[in-house]
Amino acid sequence: MADPDTSFQGNPPGPGEGDGLTRREFLGKAAAAAAGLSALAAAMSPLRHLSDDALPSVEEFLQKHYKEMTPEDKERALNRIREQVRQRYGVEANVTDPPPLDGVEFVYGLNISRCIGCRKCVHACVAENNQSRAPEIQYIRVLEMEKGSIDLETANHHYDPPQVPRPDKWYMPVQCHQCANPPCVKVCPVEATWQEPDGITVIDYDWCIGCRYCEAACPYFARRFNFTTPQIPKEELNPNMAYLSNRPRPKGVMEKCTFCLHRTRVGRLPACLEVCPTGSRKFGNVLDPNSEVHYILKHKRVFVLKADVGTLPRFFYYFDERGSRYHEPITPETKGREVREAGA
Amino acid sequence: MKAQFNFWVPMALLAWAGVLWLDPAPFVSPVPPRVAAPAWATDPTPVRQPKLRPEYRVAGYTYQCMDCHRIIPSPAETFRKLTQHPEIQLNHGINTRCFNCHHPRNRNAFVDDFGAEIPWNQPQLLCAKCHGPVYRDWQAGSHGRINGYWDPARGPQTKLRCIQCHDPHHPPFQPLPPAPGPHTLRMGAPSPAQHAGPRDPLRIFDRTRESSSH
Repeated sequence: MADPDTSFQGNPPGPGEGDGLTRREFLGKAAAAAAGLSALAAAMSPLRHLSDDALPSVEEFLQKHYKEMTPEDKERALNRIREQVRQRYGVEANVTDPPPLDGVEFVYGLNISRCIGCRKCVHACVAENNQSRAPEIQYIRVLEMEKGSIDLETANHHYDPPQVPRPDKWYMPVQCHQCANPPCVKVCPVEATWQEPDGITVIDYDWCIGCRYCEAACPYFARRFNFTTPQIPKEELNPNMAYLSNRPRPKGVMEKCTFCLHRTRVGRLPACLEVCPTGSRKFGNVLDPNSEVHYILKHKRVFVLKADVGTLPRFFYYFDERGSRYHEPITPETKGREVREAGA
Repeated sequence: MKAQFNFWVPMALLAWAGVLWLDPAPFVSPVPPRVAAPAWATDPTPVRQPKLRPEYRVAGYTYQCMDCHRIIPSPAETFRKLTQHPEIQLNHGINTRCFNCHHPRNRNAFVDDFGAEIPWNQPQLLCAKCHGPVYRDWQAGSHGRINGYWDPARGPQTKLRCIQCHDPHHPPFQPLPPAPGPHTLRMGAPSPAQHAGPRDPLRIFDRTRESSSH
C-alpha cells in the first residue's frame, strides 16, 4: 500500500513543511500537546478546592522550632494561632504557653481494682483536647481483658455490654505513659517531639513532618496521626488552649496525650481524672512527698505496662491489696485527722 | 499505519483527560460518620448526691430523723423491707443490723465503737470502723475521688466522702452503661474473627479448630 502523503506531489507546501514538519505531524503533535495539557489540568483540578486557609502563611513557613523561639517569636505564634482559630471556628481562644513548673515531675496512677471501664475518660479527653471528631481521634484506649490474665494480644477495646463492669472482665485504660526513656523521641528525624523538664513528652505541631516513625516506635500505641483535616464542631471547641497541647492541629501531623498540660501546669487536674466516676485516676507531683502519687508509689502494689521494653513510664497501674499492712494500724492520732485539719 | 497511531494516542489521552475532569468515580472517604458522644459521657457530676444531713423527705415535708424516732422504735435486725423506708434494702454483707451504724438513741447521728455519736456529715469515720485500710487510703488520697487542683496551693480541692460514691445500704459501686467505643481509623469496627466468642486465656489451642480437624 502506497503512502498517501507521497501520492499528491502538486500541493503547495503546508505551514512548517519547510522545517521538515508535515501538516499531519503538526496536527498530531498539537493534539498530543493539548491532551497532555488537559490531562495535567485535570490532575491538578483538586487545587481548585484549595482555600487560602489550607496553605501555610509565610510567617508560619518561616517559624522556628519551638525551642529556638524567643519570647517575641512565641507571642507572634500564639497571636497567629488565635487569629486562625477566630477565622476557622469563630471562637475567641485563650491560647497560652504555660512553662513547666520548677520542682515538679508529673506522674499518673491508675487503680485497676476500681476502674469499671465506663470510657468516660476517653470522651472527656476528646472534649478537652480538641481532637478530631470525624475521623475520631482518641488518646485513651480502654482494654477489656479476662480476669486472671494480662493478655494484650486478645484484649478488646470494642466491648459494648449494657452495663460495665462485666463480672468476669477487668479494664485497663492505656494512654501516653510519658516515658522517662521515650522511644518516640529518639526516632523523630526532625526533633519535633521532646521531653519537657516536668516529664511530659510534647510535639511542636508546626515542626512535625508527619513521618509517623514515633507512632511505630511507641510500644503503647499512644500516638495518633491526623490523616485528614480534623473536624471539630464550633460549639464543641475548647477555647482554653496551649501551644504544645490542645490547639487545633493541621492535617498530617502527630498528636498525643500531654497530661492536659494547659490544665496541669496551672495546678488543675487532667480532664480524664476529673470525669472518672470511680476515682481510679490519680495525678500529681511525684517529687512532693505529701502527694497522692508519692503515697501510691511508696505503699501500693504498682506495675508499669511492658516494663521489659525499658521505657520507664511515668504512668503507674496499681491495685488495692486486701488483708495486708495490718502492721500499720489506724490509731487515735490518724483516725479523724481530716476532721481536725478541716476544723483547724 | 504510523499516522493512524499518532492520531489515536492524543485522542485516548484527551478522552482520559475528559474522564478525569468529569470525575465519574469520586473519592470515597474511609472516614466513618461521626458518632456523637452523649452528654453524660463528659459530665463530671458524682454518681450520688447524698444530703449529709439527717433529713428525711416524705409527702413534700422534710423531717429530722428524730422527729419520728423520738417515739417510733426501729427493729434491731431486719431482712424484710421497712414499712416507713421502703427505698432502703440493707445489703451490706454480714452487716445486717441498723444499729451497727445508726445511733440507737439519737437517730440524727451515727454510732462509733464506744457508743458515742458520729455527726451525719462525717460518714467516713463510721465506715472506718470496719474498712480501716480503705479509710487510710482515702485519707492519703489513693482511694476515692479528688477533683479540682492537684496542687492545693494553687486552687481548691474537693474530696468526696464514702457515701458520695457508695450507697451505704448497698455499697458496691453500681454498674454504669459504657460510653460509645472507638470509631477511629486505626481502631475501627472489630473484625469478627478476632473477637468472636469468649476466650479462655488458659487454653492455648483453639477448641473449634481442634474439633473440626477430627
